[in-house]
This record gives sequence, C-alpha cells and structure tokens, in this order.
Amino acid sequence: MMREPNAIDFWRGFALITIFVNHIPGNVFQDYTYSQYGISDAAELFVFLAGWSIGIAIHGRGGQTEPAARTVLRLLSRMVEVYRAQLVITAVALAMLAGAALALDNPLLVEWHNAGPVFTDPIQATVGWVTLLHQLGFFNILPLYVVLLGLAPAFVLMARIHRGLTLAMSLSLYAVCLVDEINLPSWPSEGHWFFNPFCWQLLLVLGFLAHEWQRETPAFLVWRRRLMPLGIVLVALGAVLAVLHLRPDPLLVPEPRLLFTFDKSYLTPARLLHFLGILLAFQSVFGLIQPRAPWLVRQLAALGRNSLAVFSVGSVASLAVQLVRFSTGGGFLVDVFAVGCGLCLLAFTAWFVEWRSRSPRPSSSA
Amino acid sequence: MALSLSPALLVGVSLAVGAALSGAVAQTPATPIPPPQATAPGPEAPDPSLSPECRVPGSKLYTLAKLRAVKKALMEHRAVDVLAVGSSSGGLGAAGSYPVRLEDALEKSMPDIAVEVQSRGVSGEIVYGAAERLRNVVAETEPDLVVWQVGTNDALARVDIEEFSRSLADTVSWIKSHGIDVVLIDPQYTASLAGDDYFDQFVEAIRKVAASQQVPLVQRYEAMRYLAARAKGQASGGGFRLADLGFRCMAEHVTRAITVSLLEPDATATPAAGQSAARKPD
Repeated sequence: MMREPNAIDFWRGFALITIFVNHIPGNVFQDYTYSQYGISDAAELFVFLAGWSIGIAIHGRGGQTEPAARTVLRLLSRMVEVYRAQLVITAVALAMLAGAALALDNPLLVEWHNAGPVFTDPIQATVGWVTLLHQLGFFNILPLYVVLLGLAPAFVLMARIHRGLTLAMSLSLYAVCLVDEINLPSWPSEGHWFFNPFCWQLLLVLGFLAHEWQRETPAFLVWRRRLMPLGIVLVALGAVLAVLHLRPDPLLVPEPRLLFTFDKSYLTPARLLHFLGILLAFQSVFGLIQPRAPWLVRQLAALGRNSLAVFSVGSVASLAVQLVRFSTGGGFLVDVFAVGCGLCLLAFTAWFVEWRSRSPRPSSSA
Repeated sequence: MALSLSPALLVGVSLAVGAALSGAVAQTPATPIPPPQATAPGPEAPDPSLSPECRVPGSKLYTLAKLRAVKKALMEHRAVDVLAVGSSSGGLGAAGSYPVRLEDALEKSMPDIAVEVQSRGVSGEIVYGAAERLRNVVAETEPDLVVWQVGTNDALARVDIEEFSRSLADTVSWIKSHGIDVVLIDPQYTASLAGDDYFDQFVEAIRKVAASQQVPLVQRYEAMRYLAARAKGQASGGGFRLADLGFRCMAEHVTRAITVSLLEPDATATPAAGQSAARKPD
C-alpha cells in the first residue's frame, strides 16, 4: 500500500514543483521559487534525495540489508526505466516543437532548446539524442540520473565494506574531475553534458550515506542539530549573493578555476556548500509543516512517491506551457492558468500512477 | 550606428589599414598582412562578394565596429580562435554545419590566416542563467572572438525586453573587458512574426545594445527580410524554406561582417591622415 507522507517524499515533491516552475522561464511564479534566492537550486535537492531513496530501497521491511545481487539488479532496472522515460519525453518534446513550428508557421521554434541539430543535422543528432549525448535544454536531468544509477552499485556495495572509504572515493572522483575539467562530451554539438555525472555523483553518494548514518549513527543526528546555525548563515549568505548578483568572474579566478566559480555543470564547491547549508537550515521544517498543512503535505508526498512519472509529465508540461506563453504572448492570466493546469496535471499523474498500480490492468492480459 | 561606406572610401580604408597593419609589424619584416578581401560594395546594392542566393546589401546585413583582438591576432601572425555560440550551433561533424561553414568562409576571406572555430550550443535564456553559462564557456575556451547568435530563446520565452537588454549589455561588456571581441547575430526573420510588436522591439533592442557596446551586429533579421521580399513572386515554400536559406547564408554573412569590420579605422594604430573621412557622420 502507499506509504504515509514522510519528509523525503514531501521534499521530493517540493523539488519537482520547483523544477516544473523553473523550467518555464519568465513566468510570474518563477520569482517565488527558492532557486532565485540562492546559488544552488532544486536539481541538487532532487539528486540528493535520489541517493537517500536508494538507501531506503535497499533495506527490507525489518531493516535488514538485501543481498548484493538484488541491489545491483534493482539499480540497473531503475536505470532502464529512467532511460526509457528520457527517450519518451525527448521524442515528445521534439514532436511538440516541430508541431508547434508547423502550426504557427514559425521556424524559430525548431531552434529552441537546442533542438536545432535534430532538424538541421538529423543523421548525427538522432544517434546523439538516443545515446543521451545530445540533450535538449531542460531535458538534461534524466541523462544525469541514468549515469548516476549506473555508477550507484559500485558505491552502494563499497559502502557495505566501509562508508568512509566510499565517501573518500566519491570525493576524489569529484575533485579530479573538477580540477581537470573532465566531463562527458555532447555530440554532435561540441561541448559537454549540462550536468557532469562525475561531479554530481557526490551528491547521490552523500544522500545515500546520510541515510545510512542517520539510521545507525546517533552522533550524526547530534551534529546535524548542532550545525543548523551554520546552515542558516550559509543560506543567508547565498541569498545575499543571489539577490545582488554577486559571483566570481571566471576569467579572473585563479586556476583551477572551477574550484572558485559558481558553475552548475560541475557542481562547484560553492554550490555544494550552499546546498549543504540548505539541508542543515531546513532539516526540521517538515516537522513544523506536517501538523499545520496536512493536505499540502499529502499532495507533495504523493508527487514525491511517483517522482519519475511526475518529473516526466512535468518536463513535457513545462514545454507545453512555454509554447502557450509564446503563442499567446504570455501575461499574468496566461501564467496563472497555464501553470495552474500544469500543477493539476502533476497531481493527477501521481494519483493515476497509484490508481494503476492498485487496479487490475486489462492491457496486461491482452 | 549603421555606417555608410562609399566604395571608394572602403578601398581607401582597406589599403590604409593594410599599410598600418604592416607598419605595426615592422619589427617582423616578413610578409605584410594581406588585407581581408573586402572590396567596395555599395551599402545599398546587393553585395557581390556574397554567393548569389545570399546576396544582401551591406546596409541590411551589418553594422560595424572595431575588432581589436582579432586584429591583434592577425598582426601577431597567429591563428584566430573563434567561439561560435548560439541555438543552432550544430556540430563540427557535419560538413554542412554552421561552425564548419564559418571556419571555411573565414579562412577563404583571410588567406594565410588560420582560423579555429569552436562552437557551443548554450541553450536557455540569457536573462535566466544562460549568460552565466556563456561566461563559463568563454573562460573555458578563451577565444579571440565570440560570435554570438543571441535572442532567439529569450524572444520565444517573451522575457522582459529591458531586462534582456541589460543582461546582454552586461555580458557583452564583460567579454570585451577581457580583451575578447564580440560579434552579435540577431534572431532570424519569419513572416509569421513580422507583425509581432514584441519581436520588432526585441530585434531593435539587440541593435541598440550592439551600438552602445560598439560591437558589430549581423542583422540576420533584416537580411532575411530582404531575401524574403526578393523571393516574392518565385515559388515560395513558406517560412521553412526561407529559414533554410538563412541558415545556409549565415556563415557567409557573419564572415562578411567580420572582414568589413576589420577594415574599421583603428584610432590608436592608424593615425594616418584621411582616416576620419572614412566615417561619414550618420
């Protein structure tokens, strides 16, 4: 049966809504997402919670750890699911852009969001998007997730031997890729992945290890509480920097420059630190919200429980809202209506997925 | 700051700049810099140096400004590193892709000069983060010249035009402050947006920023509108055929704007008399 609302599902739902709104550039709600008031954003939260969920998934009901082979298969099967979702939403997005371009007789639309090469250079770009080497703008989180799920078995199994060692390995990989600017390439367009999996793996590993420590190490909880003021300071600092648009000049910082800049692709240290600050600062907020807004908690937790389906529908819906904003000219009412419809669709998606898993499926017998 | 250059003056400028450049590298008495092959298009007549299907008058194609970093690279006889940024910057793999065409066209128009074009498809709106990503890409590649197709994403997202202008001006002046040249390319023209006030103002905003920041602008919008008007009467395949043509012509148009901009008198390097006459007051 559906699990009761919990903090992880709640914050995952929160991250999903934030990502949905932030993927509609210029809409009136964008200024009210927390991404505008810090140097990290919901992507960090999403990946960290994915790591935490791996921790939940690999423990049975009684808390015992499942066999290693089962964990590996579980992660691989999740990877296949995520890859399939990425193919489906990319295909749908390409068709939406092309369809809108035809309907509005507007060739600009096929250049949007990096879709250009798929239409001007189809032979190479088809290979590119199916192999995840060509990613549309905003459709770049699931490719990251596919690679992270591919890397996850190594870290999860290593953590059974030694957690400290696992963290050290993850940190080393992060540091080497940051200093030497190692990233997966994009193709056929020059450049590299929007989310560098070799750097972002650190957040997944941190999420997973945080879950394990939380279960078994009482000192972890003590330190989490003690460091809360530090988290608040970091969040405040991030807000000041974001509001005043203060950031290091990437051509003036010393080498290796990625240690100092605010770069999302490489999850540079400033972003990581700010995100850890957010975790510390907001660690007890769920406990405050839950008794006061049970309906909201139920809704967000339902989104979080079904995050892959909700994320996929949200990606397509945010593109749809962008097309509506473009063709109508936008404005306050359009934003309220279109974003509102999108949010209802996300809620429906979560409900529908759970309904399907409860109900016998006629298609499966056909 | 659309400059009107008469043919004769342009030739004069061309020779003068060539002379000045070779003077400036007098310490290396080797070959003088070959002046870019820019000869004498009347600003209102279709520019004959362009291939027939792409032929547009200079006044519809570009506004000019100095390109100091590129000129410096030419004087130092080293390869010119170009970073092509924008929504349709395709890959280097396909022979027909824009970065490959740009590299070919630039090398053809500046013989003996090696040109390295790298491209990056920075997606997203410059008002919402793409400008930051562009800074990181510029820091990563450290080019002499950034050729930036700008505005399509922001216009499609219908961002606030003032915010867009501010962000564009900030980013351009940041790139220039590091001694890197910028050439802007505005969004393509399409008939279905011809009556869209927002879009008109948007293209105008880019023109204003290019003028105030003193960077050359490739007026893709104007050029394609000209090509569209010329194609009227012939069989038309709607906006898509024009877009295809515009895409194929872009490398040539950009190259033309760069080579003609390189002829812009450089006050510090060319104190020769008569230079100021090249610039008619507008």
